[in-house]
Amino acid sequence: MADLDHSATSDEALVRSARNGDMAAFEELVARHRDKIYARAYTMMRNEDEAIDLSQEAWVKGWQRLVQFQGESSFTTWMTRIVINLCLDQLRKRKRQRTESIEAMDEESGGVERQMPIVMINPTAGLEREDLRVRIDEALGKLTEAHRTVLVLHEFEQMEYKNIAKMMNCSIGTVMSRLFYARRKMAALLQDLKQVD
Amino acid sequence: MKKELQLKLQAYLDGELPVGECQSLRDLLAKDRQARELLTELSQTRDLIVAHEAAIKLPETREFYWAKIERAIAPEPKLQRRRAAGSSILAWWRRLLVSAGAAAVVAIAVLLSWSHATGDADAITISDGSASFTYHNYATATTLVWFDYGSGNDFPNDSGNTTLIP
Repeated sequence: MADLDHSATSDEALVRSARNGDMAAFEELVARHRDKIYARAYTMMRNEDEAIDLSQEAWVKGWQRLVQFQGESSFTTWMTRIVINLCLDQLRKRKRQRTESIEAMDEESGGVERQMPIVMINPTAGLEREDLRVRIDEALGKLTEAHRTVLVLHEFEQMEYKNIAKMMNCSIGTVMSRLFYARRKMAALLQDLKQVD
Repeated sequence: MKKELQLKLQAYLDGELPVGECQSLRDLLAKDRQARELLTELSQTRDLIVAHEAAIKLPETREFYWAKIERAIAPEPKLQRRRAAGSSILAWWRRLLVSAGAAAVVAIAVLLSWSHATGDADAITISDGSASFTYHNYATATTLVWFDYGSGNDFPNDSGNTTLIP
């Protein structure tokens, strides 16, 4: 528990204090951003327990690497990158354990996404905002890990193709293909929100 | 539609198409209805996803979640540090006593060899298992006994003990 009230302190000041060993300051940072870090882990892993463990591991790594944080990005962006990397490592481990990669099968099957009919979506059609969020989250859950990861990194983290490729250790062309497939698949999954003319 | 064109449309939407290629793509879009429809679908899907990220909340309390992180990052507890310091002092004493014992055995050996050289040594006894050494010098009527307790027992001066018997 925090000995001092840090609630009014800025992230930057908390980071400086934490760097000097102030655990109460670091706890305040965890309290402020724990939902976002957990949410990113959950979006990628789709498993509560795994997301909790990975997000906590990310905080531990964050503490250990605080000296490396130079403030080029916000603290949350920096922490989000740490948790994403941990999730990617976990997904790679999982993939290695599988005898057959579903993602590879999807990509090798020769562009099913290119044959899908074009869908017009009307986000205001019949669903409240929260319901829409749930529908989109469910649709994300139906994507393969590789496609979902690219989509999350691009749409939610606003990362460029080259940075996604670097993070996922693949080519820019693969990133573009996966993103294209993921978007088309999402459009198909959400097609009951079709535009009513 | 070719895959290359589809990916170009997407790159255009994401602002990742090289500037030099943008105009030719805009010209193509002006006359290709299917390309326009695909661009619209991609754009709508992207906007929908970006605007509706699920508000996922951590399903644990602040205290419970922090406790595991705290255990991993907290410095060693004082008690453990004290124990560690105590055991290191004990280990230091043991090493010192073992070294002192070894030095004493060497000193006895040197003394014995010197006594042999001068002809003063009258008796040397090494007991079974080398647990003790006895040296008796008749000229000075002195008996020196060295007991070796070994280093694995609980005696504080476990490296050995010397008794002088006049």
